[in-house]
Amino acid sequence: MRITVHQLAKAYGYFWALRDLEIQVGGGERVALLGPNGAGKTTLLNLLAGLIYPTRGEIRLDGVPLTRQSNAQRAAIGLLSPGEHLYDDLTARENLEFFTALYDRQRGPISIANAIEETLEAVGLGRWAGEYAGALSSSMKCRLSVAKWKLLSPKLLLLDEPYGVLDGGGVDLLESFLKAQSEQGSVVIIASHHVARVLDLCTRAIILEQGKLIFDETRREPWDSFARAFGAFTPGGNR
Amino acid sequence: MKLLRQTLLLLRKDLLLELRRHESLMTMFFFGALLLFVFNFSFELTPARVSELAPGLLWLAFLFTGTLGLTQLFEGERGNHCLDALLMSPIDRGALFLAKTCFNIVLMGLVELVVMPLFWILFSLPSWQPLPALFLIVFLGNVGFCVLGTILAAVTLKARARELLLPLVLFPLMVPVILATIRCMEALLRFGELGEALPWLRLLIGFDVIFLTVGILIFDWVVDV
Repeated sequence: MRITVHQLAKAYGYFWALRDLEIQVGGGERVALLGPNGAGKTTLLNLLAGLIYPTRGEIRLDGVPLTRQSNAQRAAIGLLSPGEHLYDDLTARENLEFFTALYDRQRGPISIANAIEETLEAVGLGRWAGEYAGALSSSMKCRLSVAKWKLLSPKLLLLDEPYGVLDGGGVDLLESFLKAQSEQGSVVIIASHHVARVLDLCTRAIILEQGKLIFDETRREPWDSFARAFGAFTPGGNR
Repeated sequence: MKLLRQTLLLLRKDLLLELRRHESLMTMFFFGALLLFVFNFSFELTPARVSELAPGLLWLAFLFTGTLGLTQLFEGERGNHCLDALLMSPIDRGALFLAKTCFNIVLMGLVELVVMPLFWILFSLPSWQPLPALFLIVFLGNVGFCVLGTILAAVTLKARARELLLPLVLFPLMVPVILATIRCMEALLRFGELGEALPWLRLLIGFDVIFLTVGILIFDWVVDV
């Protein structure tokens, strides 16, 4: 999966949330999308997810312009927003069954049922598989969101503040999942304010400020130099 | 086949959620029954007059209860941004349209199964014989109402006062369905057969087929507005 963002701009009325963005991301990259509140991180994620349209410019996935009309492109994109995009009145298991069927990730009824049970166990929700998603704690909902995308395994995984209220175990679980995804060639883009944590995880950092790209650098060893470079762009920011 | 499979998947999910939430059906049922009681208290009708007015009164009740259902149609998807999850998924948008339409048809059908016999009891209508044929006509009317209603419910989804806006847009466009259904019901109640109302039945079926097809084709753009 290769993502090309060309001259991308998004306006809400007279307010430009993003301006003339140029980004290229290749398969296997884990990109930290950083910046203060209102920088345009969520807008960029929503544009990449196809939930909103750009005012100008375009996004290409493997050279093909992203449109909401393409079922194949939509099947390749996942947006992990902890606790969201789940039905409160369906059980954890039913949510996963519904979305795997929706994404047509069929492996036969028995193997898909097994895969769901295994994934729920893997994220520590085995005991709560029959509980309504609405009855789960925020942390458990985050784990259920992880389980959902673990099963669906998209080629482009977008994450909006994925750490949410995850505990230590949950964070380890999420990060090992993201590493496994990118090792399989998926692109992972994470928007978060947990700067130190995402810098540790990601292979590249992008900083937005007032809708403009102000920093885009691939991780270099030693990591300290990258962190220093990053620090210069976020004076007084959350590090 | 894929469209049908996706439609059934979404419909099953909507019915399951309704079964657990009891949001739309109970409200629609009680509102429909309440309207019939109000009509019953308001009009002193002879059996002959009831046959004339029954189609209009019944459709008035169905329109209001159906609109209640339509305003709730996408509410289940609002929590946790589930509509975004559906729009991001690779399903055919036509399947989403068909599932929502079928869901509202099922709800209206269930309400009518109770409301129509209740009307017969409250107004002491002499013969129950035309009831099965009336159900068939009402079903065709439901299809037209729900097909157009689902399209407009999606159009008004992001509007601020969508509960007010939806009936304002929907009712004028529903005139052909309302007229056709009432004329067919009148004919059945008066003469026991459709007779001269046959062209109205053709209009009703034509409306259903045309808007069902249009809905499947345009829903992709409608939900993107």
